[in-house]
Amino acid sequence: MVQIDSELIAHMQNPHNYGRIENADSIGIGKNPQNGEEVIVYINAVKKDNDFMIEDIAFEAIACMTTVVAGSIITNEAKGVSFEMARDLIATTLGLLENVPPEEAACSEIVALALQAAIDGFLETLKSGKKQTLIYKIKQSCSPNKEFNAVEKDEK
Amino acid sequence: MTKVFVKVHELWLEMLMASFMSQNLESKRNLNDFSDILFRHFTWIERLLIKEGIEYDYNRDQIPIKVENLKVILQDLMRRINEVLLMLALLSDDALANRIKTDLEYMLFVLEKMPDEKVTAFNMNRKYKNITLSDEATDAFTLFLFEESYKEYELIMIYNYLKAHSNEDYLNKIFQILVDESFFHLKNFGEMMAQMGILGVPRVIHKSLYQIEDVVEFLKNGIDEELAAKEECKNLSKAVAKDSIELAKFFDFINYQENYHIALMKDALQYYENKGLNV
Repeated sequence: MVQIDSELIAHMQNPHNYGRIENADSIGIGKNPQNGEEVIVYINAVKKDNDFMIEDIAFEAIACMTTVVAGSIITNEAKGVSFEMARDLIATTLGLLENVPPEEAACSEIVALALQAAIDGFLETLKSGKKQTLIYKIKQSCSPNKEFNAVEKDEK
Repeated sequence: MTKVFVKVHELWLEMLMASFMSQNLESKRNLNDFSDILFRHFTWIERLLIKEGIEYDYNRDQIPIKVENLKVILQDLMRRINEVLLMLALLSDDALANRIKTDLEYMLFVLEKMPDEKVTAFNMNRKYKNITLSDEATDAFTLFLFEESYKEYELIMIYNYLKAHSNEDYLNKIFQILVDESFFHLKNFGEMMAQMGILGVPRVIHKSLYQIEDVVEFLKNGIDEELAAKEECKNLSKAVAKDSIELAKFFDFINYQENYHIALMKDALQYYENKGLNV
């Protein structure tokens, strides 16, 4: 089990960026197909230089407390950064999870993928002119003995 | 009217949290009673919204409650009460608005006189009474309290929503018992969190959790979740047994209470299936 310190407790007591953004520019969903857990990330983004910047971010979780803590930390890191930096953050998060037991990794992976879906959805909406809400399914499983083989991408 | 509904929701939760913070028995009892009354206001306004065909949900803002002195949260509660009082004119039912108004005015009167006290509900000492738990058991207990306090709040809102939208007396009796049971658990867990210095307001519930499309499926899953909760209580009871008989007995007690919840949910499930009902 994750060791709990005062910083983690502070996130549990008051998860940062928890809630939704009405009329968000983009909504991305991370889903655990095994148990139905979901994380929904809302972003507002603005053009900055040759990229976009996440101006505002919020998330909701139909999931366990560990996922809520991961959402609080990851969205904090993503607020105010460019898409490129947010992608680095996602890649770093997913990389760090490679050595973590699957049942623990799933909680952070689902948040990282929801953020990825929000960014990709934003860009696809821009390209197609039609609002896209993407759902990315996690690879890790909350049960250590069962694994999903592929990241699936669905359009809502 | 939905704005009043949201504000009363927030006021109810903050009042409940304040009751956990207080260690003065009289203040605690008053705050606890007021939170119960506010929950009833919440349900009455909800009924009015349904009657008038107004769309609503249980979304609300986060509620900051971290204070060092009770007086600070009492001041904030009075600010919120005054805010609701000003908004009552928006309710389409004058009798209901008047009933709420007189309750709120009495609350203001009592809160103003309530003595100040030091609040220790956020000191993160993670000690429950004088019980010494291992680091592992303390972490497990901490996580349990956060998970379960949210879960009980979620269940209160789900069963309350189902009850508000059902005209079946038999089902409503079951839903009300389940709401009451979850309140009892939430209050117990809230008191424990305050003792441990880790009090927090349960997070906002996503509407897909209470605006249920398939109640039969929800009840089936709910029964499985209750069975899992029983297991968790059993494990926690074992984990703390060598350090504290009192805590072990408490978890056994919660474990056995789940049997009753499961029986009620099975009853509701059978009723739905027999009558061919679903939302």
